[in-house]
Amino acid sequence: MNLLYATLGFVGIYIYVSLASLLWGGIDRKLVARMQRRIGPPLLQPFYDFLKLVSKESIIPRDANRFFELAPVMALATSIALLAYTPLGFEPIFGTKGDVIVFIYLLTLIGFLRVVGAVSSGSPYAQIGAQREMALLASREAPMMLALFVILWRLSELGVTKPFSMGTFYEHSIWELGTPLSLIGAFILLIVFLAWLASEIEVGYFNIPEAETELAEGPMAEYSGRHLAIFELANAIKAFVSASLVVAIFFPWGISGYLGLTGVPAMVVELLFHTLKVFGVLLVSMSIFRAITGRLRINQAVNMFWTRLLPASVLGALLLAIDTLGVIA
Amino acid sequence: MNGLIPYLIIVPLFGAFSLPIISLAGKKAREPWAVLITAVTLGVAAELFYTVWKGGEILVYTLGAKSPLGKGVSFPIRIVWEVDLLGAIFILMVAFVAFVAVLYSTEYMRHDTGLEKYYALILLLEVGMLGIAMTGDLFNFYVFMEIMSISGYALVAFRNDTWEGIEAGIKYMFVGSIASSFILLGIVLLYGQYGTLTMAYLAKMIAENPTFTAKVALGLLIGGLLFKSGAVPVHMWLADAHPAAPSSISAMLSGLVIKIGGTYALARMAFSVFSTGIDTKTIGWVIILFACATLIVGNAMAVIQTDMKRLFAFSSVGQIGYILLGTGIGLAAYGSDVGNIALAGAIYHTVNHAVIKALLFLVAGAVIHGLGTKNLNELSGIARKMPVTSFAFLVGAAAIIGLPPMNGFASKWLIYESSALFNPLVAVIAVIGTAFSLAAYIRVLFTFLGRPSERVMKAKEPGKAMLVPMLLLVAVIILMGLFPWFISDRIMIPAAKMLENAGTYISAVLGGA
Repeated sequence: MNLLYATLGFVGIYIYVSLASLLWGGIDRKLVARMQRRIGPPLLQPFYDFLKLVSKESIIPRDANRFFELAPVMALATSIALLAYTPLGFEPIFGTKGDVIVFIYLLTLIGFLRVVGAVSSGSPYAQIGAQREMALLASREAPMMLALFVILWRLSELGVTKPFSMGTFYEHSIWELGTPLSLIGAFILLIVFLAWLASEIEVGYFNIPEAETELAEGPMAEYSGRHLAIFELANAIKAFVSASLVVAIFFPWGISGYLGLTGVPAMVVELLFHTLKVFGVLLVSMSIFRAITGRLRINQAVNMFWTRLLPASVLGALLLAIDTLGVIA
Repeated sequence: MNGLIPYLIIVPLFGAFSLPIISLAGKKAREPWAVLITAVTLGVAAELFYTVWKGGEILVYTLGAKSPLGKGVSFPIRIVWEVDLLGAIFILMVAFVAFVAVLYSTEYMRHDTGLEKYYALILLLEVGMLGIAMTGDLFNFYVFMEIMSISGYALVAFRNDTWEGIEAGIKYMFVGSIASSFILLGIVLLYGQYGTLTMAYLAKMIAENPTFTAKVALGLLIGGLLFKSGAVPVHMWLADAHPAAPSSISAMLSGLVIKIGGTYALARMAFSVFSTGIDTKTIGWVIILFACATLIVGNAMAVIQTDMKRLFAFSSVGQIGYILLGTGIGLAAYGSDVGNIALAGAIYHTVNHAVIKALLFLVAGAVIHGLGTKNLNELSGIARKMPVTSFAFLVGAAAIIGLPPMNGFASKWLIYESSALFNPLVAVIAVIGTAFSLAAYIRVLFTFLGRPSERVMKAKEPGKAMLVPMLLLVAVIILMGLFPWFISDRIMIPAAKMLENAGTYISAVLGGA
């Protein structure tokens, strides 16, 4: 019965996140339009887009192989599976100790499946986009993993039931350490995470693989119809999940305690509040970043990760590690 | 149930010796015969494995009498075969991969001549490997190892109308013979010093009187066995032999021979024979150093290859590094939890890698069969014409890198975890090795998926006799990947504990004496 309830909850979460993430797409487009003194599309535009794509014919290129059609399905499946390990205001449904590795693995796998789909299309535009995506994929995960692992390690020092799980963030937060060093370290890591988030959803500086103007949508060049719709949905969920990670690490506070709620109502309220926080984080990392910055070249972006963000991540990690020694209280 | 043990030798040996006669009945007879023989061997192996696993005891079989001990003397005078859980795992693994490879050969080798010799040799190869896994006698071990090696030399050079087959065969033979003579010299020294060749009794004697000669012999044995396993300074034969052999043979060489004749024998010598008398920490660190070099060099060299089978061969070298690393940590941290997990990880990874690498070489064989080339630059876009083969490759590549739903994850995890607990630097080296192997396999994957070249458009999927073995291995990889902790807790960790406990290994033969 327990498994049954978990599955039902999982399905519910999947439906909710699909709707919320597509809704955020509409909000984002509206906000960016307003920042540029345009009226912009209606809020529900992504839903119309999705429905239209689903109803259109899907064209399979002559040179494509089976994985071309398989990749979007697997990407969506992976992003759905990822939801089971995502902190959404409460502990993930199937969270256990060490699930952080599953989380990172599945998140990276979605990007990798995009690359597989692109390579399988046989189109040179998609190939170049795939190469760029691969370079970006390899660069962006290192600073994020270092930061995430050091934070989880630091929090597990405080005593948690399931070390190195996503549930850790709801037991202790990085801010409650309170020492000056930990605060500075946490701020540095927050910046690293916001930059990582921007590159994960590929906006602003990091809109390199898709690069509409140079590469004609890059990895997605050959996708059309329902395959494209599935990929778009997977991407929207991935954006929501990535932002959820940032929210869970840095802003894990809930409100159900103040409202005196428990059980299922508390979870619903937390989920809604979490969605609000996710929208807030995405507003900074996606909408504003997208509106005010242009695209970097791929070598500049890779350089930025290895020479700016990774050192920043190392610095933040060292500060958090030194903090455990209690030298500067 | 120890009456089963001899059938592991009787069945394939009978099959090998009867093959020339069976072949007289016509060309159609020898293939079903070889498949039948390997299938029966697999059945015996599975039964034996089940017995050992359920019973949790070491099975001992003495040739020629009921008891290994002589009349009126308290030391063993006969050849004993001793199968503990580790040996049983390896026997099952050998019998399974050999069965798959023979089934695959029925179609793959169709265009070659002299096939009655081919099947006789492949069965002899199996005999040699099964013998190594079961023997409890040092000289008997040497004999089985030579049976395995010599059939290996002959099979590598089987296509003697190609230059690379002959070249690789000669290289493999020269290097392998030197390695074998090292091992023989080590055995000679041990016999001269202690006057016995039974491993269990020898272990007891070494424990009572560890001499300098024993250390020299151990050095020679380790040297020879590292040669056979393809550890780094002496891996060059492997990178030539595996690509040159027919793919079904590469699958057995890479999946089985380097492990049975290399890492298994190494673990057996170190744990069962020498661990009671000699400082395990030193041996452990020696093996760890070789393992680290093997990891880095093997995987890094795999990245730059343009020949698919050569890439897989170097990747095998890299994976041997993980197995050696687990064994080395098992020795260096002897008796602790870390050592136990590392050793379990090494055993587990051996089995996993045997299955995975067999699959990958069979895939390479299917590609060569369909296209006539193994140059990666000419293979672009195979997935369009050979989707099932490409899918099998995808599963194999994911498994060898160690992605979670496949079997490679759990075994590598055990090795990472124990090496991180043992010495973080070693763990970093292990992770770097995996990063290289990730790069190597992603390159091949993208070649498979890319835009189809003209040459590829003419290819088509191989027949059922080649696809079924591949899909069988895929099924095993995924099934093992779904129950990793069950396998690790119920099979691999008990096997590691049994191997570490040299006392039971000795008393199984000597009884109370």
